[in-house]
Formats: sequence, C-alpha cells, structure tokens
Amino acid sequence: MTAPFLKEQSMEFGWTPEQEALRAQVRAVIARELPPDWDAISRHGPGSRQQTQFSLDFCPKLAAEGLLVPHWPREWGGRSAPPWEHFILGEELWAAGEPRGPQYMNVNFIGSTLMKFGTPAQQDRFLPEMAAGKAIWCQGFSEPSAGSDLAALRTRADKRGDQYVINGSKVWTSYAGLAQHCFLLARTGDGKSNIAIFLVDMKTPGITVRPIPSLIGVGDIHEVFFDDVVVPEAMRLGAEGQAWPIIGYALSQERVGIARYAFSRGVLDRMVRLLQQRGQFDDAIVQSRAGQALAACESARLLVYRVIDQRARGLPPNAESNLARVAVIAADHAVADFGLAFLPDTFSGAVFPLHLSHHERAIAAGIASGAAEIQLNLVAFDHLQLPREARA
Amino acid sequence: MNFEPDDDQRAFLDAVEKLAAGHAATPAIAERLQTSDALENDLAQSGFFEAMQIDELGPVAATAMVMALARMPLCTELVASALIAPWLCPGRPRPFAVLWEHDDAPTRFLPVARTLIRVRAAQVDVACIDAGDVTPVESLFAYPMGVLKQPSAIGWERLPDADAARVRDGWRVGLAAEAAGCLGAALDAVLAHVKERRQFGRPLGAFQAVQHRLAECAALVAGVKWLALHAAGSASPLDAALAAGQAQEIARKVAYDLHQFMGAMGLTLEHPLHRWTYRTKLLASDLGGAARQFTAAAQAAWPAAASTAPEGTT
Repeated sequence: MTAPFLKEQSMEFGWTPEQEALRAQVRAVIARELPPDWDAISRHGPGSRQQTQFSLDFCPKLAAEGLLVPHWPREWGGRSAPPWEHFILGEELWAAGEPRGPQYMNVNFIGSTLMKFGTPAQQDRFLPEMAAGKAIWCQGFSEPSAGSDLAALRTRADKRGDQYVINGSKVWTSYAGLAQHCFLLARTGDGKSNIAIFLVDMKTPGITVRPIPSLIGVGDIHEVFFDDVVVPEAMRLGAEGQAWPIIGYALSQERVGIARYAFSRGVLDRMVRLLQQRGQFDDAIVQSRAGQALAACESARLLVYRVIDQRARGLPPNAESNLARVAVIAADHAVADFGLAFLPDTFSGAVFPLHLSHHERAIAAGIASGAAEIQLNLVAFDHLQLPREARA
Repeated sequence: MNFEPDDDQRAFLDAVEKLAAGHAATPAIAERLQTSDALENDLAQSGFFEAMQIDELGPVAATAMVMALARMPLCTELVASALIAPWLCPGRPRPFAVLWEHDDAPTRFLPVARTLIRVRAAQVDVACIDAGDVTPVESLFAYPMGVLKQPSAIGWERLPDADAARVRDGWRVGLAAEAAGCLGAALDAVLAHVKERRQFGRPLGAFQAVQHRLAECAALVAGVKWLALHAAGSASPLDAALAAGQAQEIARKVAYDLHQFMGAMGLTLEHPLHRWTYRTKLLASDLGGAARQFTAAAQAAWPAAASTAPEGTT
C-alpha cells in the first residue's frame, strides 16, 4: 500500500513508517498473547463469559504496551495519538476476533464521551479503570418499545432530592451479564428533550439481568429490569435534557469504531486457506465469489478510512459515516454468504470456530447499533439531501 | 493516508472541472451518442492527459480526472489517453482505441481513433489509423463504435518492452474510474429529478422506497470511486482487479435503479441519463466482466490458488 512516486501530502493511500511499526507491534502482541485455544474462546463473541474474562487479562497487557488508549490524552493514560493509530489498533484486534471483548466500547466511545461531558469526579471514577483494561460496560439504550426509534424510550428517572429513582426495562443489551457499569438512557419528563444519561453501577439493588437465548452468541444480549434503582445525581452525565447531543457525539465515535470489515477480511482469508488445503479453491466459480467478497470488504475499508481521514483532519462528523456503515454491513454479509456457499460443513461441529463467530456477528451487523435502514435514512437525508417523508 | 488532493492536485482538478463546465451548455441532440469538436479541441490544448507522468500530479490525480470528465454527457476517450498512453506510447495522437479480444470486434472509439493499441497475452502492438480504416457501426452503447475494415491491413508496430499486464491494470483502474464518474453524474441527475418531480402530493424523493435504493446506490458508487483512486495510487494488480470488478458488479443494479426513478423521462434521448448508463453497460462487460475481474483478484490475493486460467488467456 505504499506509493513511493507520490510526494508527501498529495492524495495517497499508503501508511507512514510509524503507522507500519505500530501495526507490526500490535500483531506481535496478538501473536504473543493469544493462547492456542483462542478460536474456541472467541467462538461465542465479545460478550461471552470466556471472552469477557479473557479481556480482563488481555487488556491490562495491552495497556502496559501503551496500546489500549493511545489516543487518549496523557492525563488519562494515553499519549494523544492521532485517530489513525487508534484505528489501526482496532483493525488488527478485530481481525483477530476482538480480544478486548466488550472493552472495545470503552476505548471507542464511552471514554471519549466521559472526557467531553463528564464531571471531574466521574472522570476520576471511571477513566483510570478503563485505561487499565479492567472496566466492563454495557449500553442501556434499546427498550421493548424503543429500538430504532430510540426517543420513544419509557424507562423513567424520577428526581428525589439528590438522587434519581429509575424504573423500567431495557432489552437487547449487549454485555449486561458481566458488566460493572451501564451507560443508561432514561426519561426525566415527556418528549425527546427530557432524556438524561446515567452512569449506573450494575450491582445497585433493583437491577435484574436476564440473558436472552439468541442466534448471535452466548451471553450477548439481555433484558435488564430496573425496579426502584437509586442512582446519585452525581452519576448523571451532562444536564437533564442533554442526552441527545451526547448520544450524537457518542454515536459519531461509535459508527465506524468497529473495524468489522477487518474481521470479515481475516475470516475470508482463513476460509480461502481452508478451501486451498482441501483442494477446493482451483474452481473459477469459487475464486470469483471469493474475489467478490474481498471487493466488498475493501470497498467498506476505504469508505471507513475516508471517515477516519476526516476525523484526523478535525472535521465534524457527517453522513459519510452512515455511508460507510452501509458498506460494512454488505461486506459482513458477502463473507458470511461465501462461507455458507462453499464451506457448509463448517457450520456443524468445531471445524472452524471463528467462522461461526463471524457468521453470528454478520447476521447482527445490520441490526445492532443502528439498523441498516436507519443508516440508509440518514444517508438519504443528510448526504443526498432528499426530503424527509411525513411521519405517521 | 490522505483522501484529499494537495494544492497542485486541487488546482489541476479545478481546471479539469472548469473545462468540463465550459461545455455544460452544449445543446443536447436527440441521439444516443454526442461528441463535441469544441471539447476535443479544448482537451487537445489542455495538456491534461500528461498528468500521470507529472510528479506533482501522478496517477491518482489522472484517475480523478477520468472520473471528472466521465461526468460529462458528451463522450470523449479518456482511459487510454489518461492512464495508459502516457507511459506506453507517449507522443502518439489521441483518441485511442484498444483491441482486447479479436481484431474484428466492434470496439469503442474506433471511428474517431488516431492510434490503435492491441493487447494480447504478453504482447502489445500499436498502429496509426484514421477513419478510413474503420466502418462505424450502430450501437446501443453511447460510445462511437466501429470495426476495422481490414484488420490484416493495419500496420502494427510491436512495442518490445511493453508490459501487457500493466496495460490491463491501467485499463481496469480506468474503467472503474469512468464507471464511477458516469454513475456519479447519473445519480446526481436522478437526485435532482426526484427532488423536483411530485406524485401523490409530494416529491418522489420523499418516499422511503426511493430513498433507500438511492442511498444504497450512493454507497456503492462511493466505494468504487475510492477503490479506483486507491488502485491508481498503489499500482497493485490486486487493487486494480478489485476496483474494476466492483465497478462492473454494481453497474447493473445502479443503472437499473436510476432508470426506475427517472421513469419515462429516462427513456427519452432528450434526457442525458442514457449517455451515462449506456456507457457503463459497456464498461461492465470489459475484460470478461465482473466475474473475471473477481477471479483475477482472488488469484492475486491468494496466489497459491493460481492454478486455473492464468491472466492473459481471456
């Protein structure tokens, strides 16, 4: 990916020597720290008990190498590394099946959101733990009546003195089973403007977590019930009614935060290697379909890089991140479909555990963290400037 | 990693866009194909086709130029002039036509070409030709199409040091860039239409059924744009095959959706939509089409697999 004939600063798509060195360092850490049975550990996805527990061992080692929060400022344990470095890190770790487990959320958006909107006390309470690789968070957003239409959420936070009492329920909550903290959205009054964010200790009395058996990994999604859960006012993030701009900021960090195409590309490489070992890759039809899936991955990669490039320039987030999400979802499905077409036997038994994990991630890709259709809406409105349809 | 042009590249691309804008008011004719002598004269004087060999500009800027000029409804030969001739046969007059398969195949730009390039497995030949060597043929495609009257009478000159694979890579990058330009311009034209055209009391573009498909088209076209520019920068055969394959893969869906939303207006020769979509339809079949580019990409990405139909046999 180097273009030696182009001078620096012109449009080019290569990596600097520093970026190449960082990538090599991350790969070396992955090679050294992932155990021989890593594929089996990561089989059930980042939210599984095995992978979450592994992350509590792995992330401190990353932190010791300066590779957990390099993009954070020095005062919080980072070195203000440019966005590209954080992204290269994410690419390599996702390509390996995400050994950070649920902690990828901390470094992608929860930490930076706390830095921007949190009180000094909140920052002191939560950021050192994240930077040490010891924090597991879940995200209390979706509810039975509020999925894509997040503003329809009903969970209530009633102010009583210097506390809030929270009642309601969340659903499809990833990582809730093992999380220490919840980044919770709750309503302080009627309407979109009366929503606030709370940083809730998951051990607080009144919280009940039930795993939901699902197609996408053991321990991944949950129902979370809040019955008279008391949260100190000091654990409200931002002001009452400020939730929407904070969520907008968090999602702008999150939208292309997960280098899913890198995971898809890594799994595609391994699928092809297996087909080659079996002598099944000499078929032009198989090769063509592999090339098609590869093109989908690389198209998604470049659209994501475009967004990171804008972030690195300090430009405000825009709908190109939604455009990139659309392409990332397509890439996940292209690779998953390739596996179904040419390696059907690996969906039974434990022939190729990472392949199963990828399949389960892929089928959720267009649903989790903003459905594909919501991304298309945002592309239509904000990128193509099409008129908004009158809502029912 | 830098997705924005630098000052030199920006100035160059601004000049390209200015030249194109100068021809935007050319009155449309009710024909499948429209060319313009005035445009050809301006291009001849511009020096734009030397960009690839100029250090300050380079292949990425040359590829961006192909995209920008492909956005014009007026048809002009771009790919060989911008991305192949500057290093393969500098000084030869444009327009170029390129023969890939058979000497007697209907080929775009043959009726207007002054230099003919012929690519075989590992051999590249060039020849001077003029309109007298060619029989123009009617075609669905919005390119000037023709066949050689007498292929055996062409005075071929073999280019002994020419790298046929590099010509193929350049062609792949170029066809992806031209498709990205054509489809991007077509998408913009359809967006303008669906914002204006009202049915059932509201603009067509307010219907979610329309919005989602146009948003998908936008994501696909943007992907091809960056794949083409990336391939131009990396000079990698793999990247070139991915860019061409993806451009060819998306062409049918995007062209279909755009025509659907332009409705009957898009069936007329009056509206320029067909000039972009019918160029793309031919680009989508170049070098055997998407499946062949994807196969080539797979063989480059996972080389242990390269045991079937090697490059150059198609």
